[in-house]
Amino acid sequence: MSRLVEYITRSRVWRSFFRHGWPDNPLDRSLVMTTNIFFHLHPVKVNRNSLKATYSLGLGVISVIAFLELSITGLLLMFNYVPTVERAYGYIVTLQTQVPFGQLLRNMHRWGAHLMVIVVVLHMARVFYTGAYKPPREFNWVVGVVLLILTLGASFTGYLLPWDQLAFWAITVGTSVAAYEPLMGSTIKAFLLGGPEVGQEALTRFYALHIMLIPAAMALLISLHLWRVRKDGGLAANELKEEGEA
Amino acid sequence: MTEKQTEAPFSRSSKKTYSLVELVHRAPSQLVDHGPDNTVFAFPLVALIELLLTIGIILALLLMSLGVNAPLEEIANPNQTTDPAKAPWYFMGLQEMLEHGHPTLMAVAMPTLMVLFVIAIPYLDQSREGAGRWFTSKRGKRISLFTALYALLIMPAYILFDNFVPLREILRGVVPDFVAQVLIPGAIMAVIVAAPLLVLWRSKPTPREVVLAAFTMLFVSAVVFTLTGFLFRGPGFELYWPWDMPGGYNPFQNL
Repeated sequence: MSRLVEYITRSRVWRSFFRHGWPDNPLDRSLVMTTNIFFHLHPVKVNRNSLKATYSLGLGVISVIAFLELSITGLLLMFNYVPTVERAYGYIVTLQTQVPFGQLLRNMHRWGAHLMVIVVVLHMARVFYTGAYKPPREFNWVVGVVLLILTLGASFTGYLLPWDQLAFWAITVGTSVAAYEPLMGSTIKAFLLGGPEVGQEALTRFYALHIMLIPAAMALLISLHLWRVRKDGGLAANELKEEGEA
Repeated sequence: MTEKQTEAPFSRSSKKTYSLVELVHRAPSQLVDHGPDNTVFAFPLVALIELLLTIGIILALLLMSLGVNAPLEEIANPNQTTDPAKAPWYFMGLQEMLEHGHPTLMAVAMPTLMVLFVIAIPYLDQSREGAGRWFTSKRGKRISLFTALYALLIMPAYILFDNFVPLREILRGVVPDFVAQVLIPGAIMAVIVAAPLLVLWRSKPTPREVVLAAFTMLFVSAVVFTLTGFLFRGPGFELYWPWDMPGGYNPFQNL
């Protein structure tokens, strides 16, 4: 058995996948981080301060988890949806009543979206109150604020897609606020809705924004956000010089 | 100077013929002044924490989704308005603001100023002191706490006052619309928001303490307005207790 394991792990195929041995020693524990793209998000060694649950509350990580969960459930929902005024609502009803686990899928997307908005807002408050926006992290704070706005945009554009009374009137109310902008108000509203009121053009635009433009922008900015966290020395808690200080 | 050297983690000993030298090109570097490191291998600990968090969140969402269905009303009908017609909950703060002044002031100018302030925070407070510590100091904690309590009291009070003594309606026709709809509500808001900062000003605050007070004021106010709009507004967008809405309206059915 052990010879078989050794034969497999020494084979060229295995070593083309994994460029490190079993990570039970410092060298392989370093290699498992530096040779893997997922783990490469983290340094080989992390500061204990940044692992304290009472410091970060895990809110940034939870935001990423929610984003991934929404991407996956959203992709699955796309298999059962057509963004037209005539058919969208029917597809949602079919999804809920006839597609196996369809209702569950929609529920998970809906509650995941609310969770993400709450968690991202709390994450911003955490970063603010721990002073984690201070130099050299100023720009990453700005990226974070843009990500918060995009999160609201993603949720808002998705709100219209079921095309029920709730969706229609929420978007009607929400976009009417834009029209109060004194200089560009009517232009912004027309750009969002593609017409004087919420209709097929609005549904088409919200769909494109919701499934492609906003998630793509978020994926790029999340990458930048996480990369900069690392470049700026990890979490700000690492800068506390003595343990007792925290 | 000698005292400082013995305290430093990499102290120079006279017995050694070599010394540890660090050249810092662009200070501050992460490693200056740091002694033996306080680190652990990221693998497997961090990977495990993230895996457990993922499982926990997905499990919580799954349980919630098994228990509570996402709402779905009748098909959209542009000819039949719902009552109340509400924006998604996270925009209810904005919709609540609309009840208390001119839309351009309440729903455009103030939110824009708020977002600009939030973006500007790191450029208003440039000190590095206290980075990574909750509230920076005990004083910072007290400032945040008192500001939060103040906002929690004054904002609901303002909403109630404006609801039952609608100055804008009383002054309609008495003074120009611009004064009644923009100047007066704007001035009241400005005084309410600026009050904790003025109190703070007398004790010579650091920039960090100023942004602590300002951010807390805005954050708690935003929460109060959002909750008021979401929970306490019923049919006709009137104020009701959430459990006592006419017509059986339940704000949570519209999530």
